[in-house]
Amino acid sequence: MFKRLSNAIASVEMFVAALLAAAVTLLVLLNIVSRAMGQAIYWVDELAIYSMVWMTFLATSTVLKKRQGVSVTILTDCLPTRSRHWLAVFSDLMILVFAVALFALCWRWYSPVALWQAGFDFQAFQAETFNFMYSENTSTIGIKKFWVWLVLPVFALSLAVHALINLYDSIRTAGSAAGEPV
Amino acid sequence: MTLLIFLLLLFTAVPIALVLALTAIWYIGSSGNTVLFESYPQQLFGAIESYGLLAIPLFMLAGELMNEGGLTRRLIDLARILVGGFRGGLAYINLVANMMMAAIMGSAASQIAIMSRAMVPAMEKEGYDKSYSAAITAAGGLLSPIIPPSMLFVLFGVLAQVPIAEMFIAGIIPGLLMSLLFFLTISLMGLVHQYPKGEWPTRRQAWHFLLMGIPAGFIPLVIIGGILTGLATPTESAAMASLGALLIGKYVYKDLQFSHLFGIFKRTAINSGMVIMLIAAAGVFGWVIVFEQIPQNAAAWIAGQTSDPFVFLLMVVGILLLVGMVIDGIAALILVVPILLPIAQSQFGISPFQFGVVVCLTLVMGLLTPPVGAGLFIASSMTGASPMRIFRSLLPFLAATLITLVLLSWQGGLVTMLL
Repeated sequence: MFKRLSNAIASVEMFVAALLAAAVTLLVLLNIVSRAMGQAIYWVDELAIYSMVWMTFLATSTVLKKRQGVSVTILTDCLPTRSRHWLAVFSDLMILVFAVALFALCWRWYSPVALWQAGFDFQAFQAETFNFMYSENTSTIGIKKFWVWLVLPVFALSLAVHALINLYDSIRTAGSAAGEPV
Repeated sequence: MTLLIFLLLLFTAVPIALVLALTAIWYIGSSGNTVLFESYPQQLFGAIESYGLLAIPLFMLAGELMNEGGLTRRLIDLARILVGGFRGGLAYINLVANMMMAAIMGSAASQIAIMSRAMVPAMEKEGYDKSYSAAITAAGGLLSPIIPPSMLFVLFGVLAQVPIAEMFIAGIIPGLLMSLLFFLTISLMGLVHQYPKGEWPTRRQAWHFLLMGIPAGFIPLVIIGGILTGLATPTESAAMASLGALLIGKYVYKDLQFSHLFGIFKRTAINSGMVIMLIAAAGVFGWVIVFEQIPQNAAAWIAGQTSDPFVFLLMVVGILLLVGMVIDGIAALILVVPILLPIAQSQFGISPFQFGVVVCLTLVMGLLTPPVGAGLFIASSMTGASPMRIFRSLLPFLAATLITLVLLSWQGGLVTMLL
C-alpha cells in the first residue's frame, strides 16, 4: 500500500518537475522576446528562478527514491556483497534522517500550531513568536514568500515516504542475503 | 568530530548532497549555535535562488535537443570537410566535432556519452584501435568545460560571485590552446599508431555536408556570439540555443518528434536537479566551513609553504588532482572554491578568472582518472573497451592537459587577455 503511495508520489513529482523544466525554458524565452519588443516583463526572471528551485527539489526526491544520487562509491565497491547490503541500509537510513530532520525544521519555521492559536493573524503571530517568516514578500511576483518556500516541507515529507519504503526494502534484502550461504 | 561524520557519510556512499546537508545539521547541533536551525530551510532554498543557475537546465536541454534532433551527426559531417582527408582523418574529425560540441554543451560527461556513441563505431570500422578511439573521444570531452558554455564555469561564477559571461570569455583562449595541444598529441601518436588513411569527401558530398551542417553550426555561433557581444546573458543564449535546436531538429532535419519532448524535459529536470541540489546543500555546509575557520587555517598553512602565486597554483592543481580522483568534479568544486578562492585572491593576488579556469580544468581531469572517473566508465560502457585500456591510451592527452594547466598557472594573461 505504502509502496504504491510512494510510486504515485514519485510519478507526480517527475511529471511536475518536467513541466517546470519546460516552464523555465519558456519563461526565459518570453523574457528575451518581451525585452526585444521593448516591453520587458519585470516578474519573469523571479518566476523562472522559483520554477527552477521547485524543479530541483521535486527531481531530487525522485532521484533519491531511485537511489541515483551522486555518491562516492570507491570504498563500498571493494566490499563483499553482504556488507554492501548493510551499507545500503545505512545510506537509506541517513536519507530518512535527513528528510525527518528537514521536516522538523520546517515545522519549527512555519510553526503551524502557533499560527493557528493566533487565529491565522500574522501580526498576532509575529508579536507572539518573533518569527517573521510570514511577512516576507517575493520581490516581483506579488505573493508572500512562504508560499514559495512551501516546496521544502513538501519535499521533506515525500522524501520521508520514499526513504521509508527504500529502507524497508534494503533491510529485507540485507536480512534475506544474510541467511544465505556466502 | 564534524570532520569524522563528514568522512563517514562520504565514504559509506550516502549521496553527496545529503552528506553536506547532514554534516551541517550535525555541526549546528553539536556547536550549540542552534539559532542557525531557524534559518536552515531558508538557507537551503536561498542558496539556489540565483539567475545564473538557470543556465544549467537550459544548457542540458540544448544538449538533449541537439542529440535528438540529429544536429550532432551533421556537425560531425561538417568536421569531415575540414580535416577528413588527412592521415588519421577520423581522429581529427573526432576532435574538431568535439570542439564544436563543446561550444554547445556544458557538461563533459554527457558529451563523452554522446560522442562515444557517434564516433567510436565509425573509427573502429575504419581500422582504429577501439580503446584508442574511445580515448580520443573521452579526451575531446575535456574541452567541454573549458570552451564556453560550461556548466562548471556557471557553478564557479555562482560560487565565486563573478559574472558568468566573463568567465565564459576567459575560457576561450585556454580552450583553443588545449585543442591545439590535442592536435599535436594526435599527430605525434600517429607516429606510433599508423593511422588509416583519411578520405576527403567528394565535391558533391562536401556541398551536401556543408548545406546540411550550416543550420547546426549556427547554434554554437549563436551561443558564443550572444555571450561575447553581451547581447544575451549566458542563460538567455542557452534558451535560444534550445529553441534553435528544437526548430532545426524538427523542421530542417525532421529527426525530432514532439512526442519525445516530454522525455527530454524529464531528463533535463533530473540531471540538472542533481547538480543544483548540490549547490543548495553547499549553502548550508558553508556554515561549517565559515564557523570552523577552515579557509583561515588552510591559508595559514599554505602561506607557510610558499609565497609565489605560480607555486601556489601548482599546489592547488596537485591537491585537486587527488581530490578529483575520489570525488565528483562538481561536488569537489563546491567544496574547494569557498576554501581556496579567498586565499588565492587575498594572499596571492590571483585573478578569480585564472583561478576558476585552472580549478575547473583540473577537476574535469578527475573525470578521466581511475578509480572513480565517471567519464572513463561512460566511454567504456558506450564502447565496450575496458576502462583501464582506455586510460592507458588517454595518458598522452592527460599529459597535454597537464601542460595546459602549467601554462595557465604560469601565465594568467592567457586567461584574462580577452576580458
